[in-house]
Amino acid sequence: MTERRITTAAAFRATLARDLLIAYKRKNDIINPFMFFLIVATLFPIGISPDPQRLGEIAAGVLWISALLAAMLSMDNLYRADYEDGSLEQLLLSPHPLYFMVLAKNISHWLVSGLPVVLASPLIAYMLNLPTDVYFALFMTLLLGTPVLSLLGSIGVALTVGLGSRGLILAVITLPMSVPVLIAGTMAVQQTLNGAPLTAYLAILGAMLLASITLAPLASAAALRISIN
Amino acid sequence: MWQWFFKLGSPKWFYELSGKWLPWLVAAMSLLLVIGITWALLFVPPDYQQGNTIRIMYIHVPFASISLAFFPLMAVAGTITLVWRMKLADMVAKTAAPLGAWFTALALISGSIWGSDIWGTWWIWDGRLTSMLLQFFLLVGVISLRSALEDTDAAAKACAVLSIVGCINVFVIKYSVDWWNTLHQPSSPIGMAGDSANGPEIWVPLVIMIVAVYLFFAVSLILSTRNEILQRERRSKWVQELLASA
Amino acid sequence: MLAALQFSSIGEFFQMGGYAFNVWTVYVLFLLFFFVNLYFPLIREKQIIRELKRRLIVRNEVPANKHD
Repeated sequence: MTERRITTAAAFRATLARDLLIAYKRKNDIINPFMFFLIVATLFPIGISPDPQRLGEIAAGVLWISALLAAMLSMDNLYRADYEDGSLEQLLLSPHPLYFMVLAKNISHWLVSGLPVVLASPLIAYMLNLPTDVYFALFMTLLLGTPVLSLLGSIGVALTVGLGSRGLILAVITLPMSVPVLIAGTMAVQQTLNGAPLTAYLAILGAMLLASITLAPLASAAALRISIN
Repeated sequence: MWQWFFKLGSPKWFYELSGKWLPWLVAAMSLLLVIGITWALLFVPPDYQQGNTIRIMYIHVPFASISLAFFPLMAVAGTITLVWRMKLADMVAKTAAPLGAWFTALALISGSIWGSDIWGTWWIWDGRLTSMLLQFFLLVGVISLRSALEDTDAAAKACAVLSIVGCINVFVIKYSVDWWNTLHQPSSPIGMAGDSANGPEIWVPLVIMIVAVYLFFAVSLILSTRNEILQRERRSKWVQELLASA
Repeated sequence: MLAALQFSSIGEFFQMGGYAFNVWTVYVLFLLFFFVNLYFPLIREKQIIRELKRRLIVRNEVPANKHD
């Protein structure tokens, strides 16, 4: 096997760079989830109440649910284009562990669709009248929580990548799975508002992130192998 | 040593054995159900707080307890499917999912009817209720994935992966929802009715009903699995012979 | 044994101390679920056997994969 010069680390970097480049060329991948997040967050004041007092109470939940839905919506981009043009099959045939390739794709997906949402969250939080003391808590929980959403969603997408129409199935599979993250995220903000220390919640979210980084790509990889064959 | 294990995986062997066992299971189930229901409806003393609604417990608790077994069952079956490619394991997993959804739904409905009086409301976002509801959604996800994938083999493996992931997730959801709930409200009255040190006149019929409902689950699962076997093994020699002789 | 009976009349039994709706709904639902869950697989089995037999006669299907 002397011909195999590319190390797994290099393949990982190449996959990551490729996906980021594709996303950069197709600006929609970056703009759409972000716009979706903004629009969903806008619907809540219209649907519930423009009263700043009431909005402040639900702001954290609204931001988390909007981020969750934006992550779900953008999930479809994760493997579909690669599946359709056959490059996903190439990825499966590569000699490198599929775990790292899937992880690279998930990281690039989060950088493209999750990070903009996290960065924009203080702005929306201001518009929704979230108390300023908990901006940091909200930002940190989203920063730790949205990658978990990407990693979990990836399993659902990998399982359904071969299907023609799968919008609803994907939601049914992945939304219940994201409940623990949602709970940890919103509770962190609520409890910080009540004066509890944030570190415990960040530790829990961090543990969720670590667990999903180690386990979720394995499940995604297994699911991809099943879907492609 | 492993011989019995692989023998167990043979649909033919399972079909013949379950055919022999079914009458006994049905007999035991019917006997226990008649005893259990009669006891629960006629002889259990009314609770000093809940009155006669305590009789709902004898349906609700068995269903709720068995509902928790579905994801572990499907995860074990899924592991066997992925590791040993055993066809029977997937047939069991396939029939277990809709059955699990029904059991979970009935546990939720009976609990809601029971709670409508104790709590004065049909639904509260209590930890147990919420995690049961989410488990129901996850089961529906497995069912819809199964029906969406046309290739039997791919569907088997995909559902196996989803069941294993779902099983881990059900536990995480359960703990996180309990944690979320306990900070919001005190523990539910369901626990007090079921777990407290009540006399044998309360828990003996409950144990009977739990065993009866487990047998009922076993019988339903076996019946549907047998149908699944007939359909998937229709080209095999033994099914053809079975049909010719039937 | 009859002394342990919790109800003194049939009417009282059906009333369930004012909780007739709650108690009976749950038990009726259970019985419905119980019978449906046993009845449908049995009907299905008959259907499958009839269907497979018909195919056996019509096409005389050749066994594709030979299990024992």
